[in-house]
Amino acid sequence: MSDIRKTVDARGLACPQPVILTRKALAEGGFELLEVLVDDPSSRENVVRFAGFAHCGVEAETEDGGTFRILLRPDAGLPAAPEAARVAPAPETLEKAPGALSAQGATVFIASGGIGTGDEQLAALLMRGFLYTLTEAEGVPRRIILMNGGVRLAVEGSDSLVNLRRLAERGVEILACGTCLEFYQLREQLAVGRVSNLYEIAGLLLQGRTLSL
Amino acid sequence: MRLIVTFPSSHAALAAERALLGAGLPVELIPVPRQIRSDCGFCLLADAGEPGSGPGRRRLQLLGACGAREQWQVIETEPDPSSPSSRKVKSYERYP
Repeated sequence: MSDIRKTVDARGLACPQPVILTRKALAEGGFELLEVLVDDPSSRENVVRFAGFAHCGVEAETEDGGTFRILLRPDAGLPAAPEAARVAPAPETLEKAPGALSAQGATVFIASGGIGTGDEQLAALLMRGFLYTLTEAEGVPRRIILMNGGVRLAVEGSDSLVNLRRLAERGVEILACGTCLEFYQLREQLAVGRVSNLYEIAGLLLQGRTLSL
Repeated sequence: MRLIVTFPSSHAALAAERALLGAGLPVELIPVPRQIRSDCGFCLLADAGEPGSGPGRRRLQLLGACGAREQWQVIETEPDPSSPSSRKVKSYERYP
């Protein structure tokens, strides 16, 4: 007997729509296999990454004439829907409360270990506080890009590491500039996220909403 | 049980964090939740520990020595499992 399937056709849709549609389908359930169709390599990557956070196995990935087909199997033993909802809340659930804190979908660019100029201790304290408030936000950013002194936040011994890890657990992609890690000789100490390069970082900064600190 | 401990200044909160961490008592320095105070500031988030226990007493002594002002208990309401958009809600009550 073949598995009950459902298809999400997200071809032609820009990010983050494919992930949002996948999340909705997973929350609705009623199938054993979810087929997601996208036509953009970064959408494919985002859906596959999201599947990991939503406790879905990726059964197959194929490409045919520019269409990527991703076959997901939710793990029935784990609560896929609430986890998925936390990672990418449906747009209609955002900003319900007046003044609700949401960084939903944004890219946060951090190029220093602190916020602003002035006293260094205060700058570091503000950065730490800011990252904590992001962990408490209803909608988390899509990614955090760390550059120059910002990479120090993601290495062993940083007092912001705990908050960056919490954000990563909620599905936030943490990218650290490889040149910067190498310059400060911190590459081996990177404790959360992954190493990125200027081409990827420049591309990401130029697309979508970016908050620069 | 978790407590929010406020201080007269961010300097005092930082000093208290150093003192407690130095004594092996885990605390976290966080911005003061806006339900407690609307102006900017930092406070400590700490496990209250067992009342009367060694670490609990030591924590209280150190907090007192660092000029701790108020203590607030963190009340967490679990999300409704039937609603995927529901999330954990935190509120705060003066303690003790």
